[in-house]
Amino acid sequence: MEQNQNTDVIVTESVTKVYDADGIPVNALNGIDLTIQSGEFTAIVGPSGSGKTTFLNIISGLDAPTEGKVWLSGKVLSEMGGNELSDFRRDNIGFIFQAYNLIPVLTVEENVEYIMLLAGVPKAERHDRVVAMLESVGLKDVEDRLPTQLSGGQQQRVAIARAMVSEPTIILADEPTANLDSKTGSDLLEMMSRLNTETGMTFIFSTHDPMVMESAKRLITLRDGQIDTDETK
Amino acid sequence: MILKIAFRNIFRQKRRTILTALAMIVGFTLSSIVIGLSDGAYSNVIKMFTGNRIGHIQVHQEGYHDKPSIYKTISNYESIGETIQSNTDVEAWTPRVYAGGLGSVGEKSTAVRIIGVDVAQEIKATQFDKKVVQGNALTETASREAVIGQGLAKTLAATLGSKIVIFSQAADGSIANDEYTIVGLAESGDDITDKITCYLHIEDAQELFVLEGRIHEIVVIISNINKVGKITEAIKESLNDSDLEVLPWQVVAKSFYDAMQSDKQGDAVVRLIIMFIVAIGVLNTVLMSVLERTREYGVLKAVGTKPIQIFWLVICEVVIITIGSIAIGALLGSLINYLFSIYGLTYAEGLTMGGVEFGTMYAEVNARSLMIPGITVMLSATLVGLFPAIKAARIMPAKAMRTH
Repeated sequence: MEQNQNTDVIVTESVTKVYDADGIPVNALNGIDLTIQSGEFTAIVGPSGSGKTTFLNIISGLDAPTEGKVWLSGKVLSEMGGNELSDFRRDNIGFIFQAYNLIPVLTVEENVEYIMLLAGVPKAERHDRVVAMLESVGLKDVEDRLPTQLSGGQQQRVAIARAMVSEPTIILADEPTANLDSKTGSDLLEMMSRLNTETGMTFIFSTHDPMVMESAKRLITLRDGQIDTDETK
Repeated sequence: MILKIAFRNIFRQKRRTILTALAMIVGFTLSSIVIGLSDGAYSNVIKMFTGNRIGHIQVHQEGYHDKPSIYKTISNYESIGETIQSNTDVEAWTPRVYAGGLGSVGEKSTAVRIIGVDVAQEIKATQFDKKVVQGNALTETASREAVIGQGLAKTLAATLGSKIVIFSQAADGSIANDEYTIVGLAESGDDITDKITCYLHIEDAQELFVLEGRIHEIVVIISNINKVGKITEAIKESLNDSDLEVLPWQVVAKSFYDAMQSDKQGDAVVRLIIMFIVAIGVLNTVLMSVLERTREYGVLKAVGTKPIQIFWLVICEVVIITIGSIAIGALLGSLINYLFSIYGLTYAEGLTMGGVEFGTMYAEVNARSLMIPGITVMLSATLVGLFPAIKAARIMPAKAMRTH
């Protein structure tokens, strides 16, 4: 497959995923061919069970495809070992999950700092970046709190700060507004849109939320594990 | 950060931590008590068996130990004793004469074992005076006195002041026959010994058996029983006499020593069983903890934590809990062993160890009772922690994050 190493951040070729559901094979993805370029603000939509989350998991290396290949920043994910894949995810991908998935025993500040610590960023630089990031997501005053002491909106802001602080190439967000009220969801979406414009980071969402669909510059619809439509606004 | 997360996880799940720690603390403490009590018991038995009876080292004429005979004697024992005493690790030495014979009090007779002792040196070496539970020890000069075992006194219906007549064969082939006044009754701690033993002054015994200036055995007491092998060799070297055999207590009382060793192996089996129970408990709680946190490990991995770091996270948690548990277990084990070393553990029926019967077991507070359980708990906990740690490290993030 021909790729443009400079602009193509994600390329998938015939990606298929078959789950085993109590002995019954379930096709979650059926031969997806897709290219996402740097700086896109893309939403992947579709009904429940259409394969949105599975697709995000596979393009981030959190799950392996049954068949097909995924290139992320020019590298084939399936050719990487466990430790290499962890390092690659740490340095290239920021995750925002529907259920926030913060580390419960770490404070807000530590959760945001964690990935930089894994990457070996010096302490002073870590601190400066955490402070700046928490300020940009409006959480400067709750840095010492544990995730359980925060509201859903605040936890999702921490998740966004954690995803972005190490300045990854891509942010993958799985239903980021699903557990939030419309005001908080709108604020966060606006913030991500601003960050996309300011930093040029690639954002890929899986969503049901019309507000996210409206903000997206590219809308990919999945149905039964296949691309149904792919529109660029 | 991994260490920080490990610490916080430990304190976050207090109940699970307490359960895991309890399994380790109980295992450590039980094991420590088993070792403390058995070591204490062995020490007491060895002390009773060696210090008060056979000594730590014995010197005989070559071949006496394998085949004792009244004729296998040592003649220059005073100078041999002085050479032995010159070793700084030697506390005391005492010469003995041994012979068998028939003892009679009135119309009652029985087989007796006559031990001729140098009273002053025997007191110094084996606390002979403390064995005398009725009457007095022998006087320091030969006075035709006898101290007999309580069991022997019962057999012969003898009391203090009774006359005991000894019949035997002397070293020159003549009939040895003399009468002695019973001045004391002795209790050695071994009933069988007490049923046959008759102590005479060494000079009385030498006269009776026509052994002027000769003895059968030199008993040596040393300051540190753990160095017995080394000191035996040093004495052998300093005596430099091929006609003499110098034997440590393990050789002198081989059957006793072998019985003790097999008792010790029995203790090792008990410890192994305790540790197996601890390992199962730890495996259960650690595995539960990993399964409960599958989602968390998935998240950690998703954001870039390496499998090896997840592995170390689980191992760190186990090791931290283990270190804490060992510290608490060491305190508890030492305290209980200390209390048992003072008050002892009394059995309704006496226990026999290495052929010696005793009713109260005293524990010993020593490094072994902390080191062995410490190493065993640490090893078993870390080993059983490996399986959950590998399981956590190999978690597939997407699958793990789907669990609740």
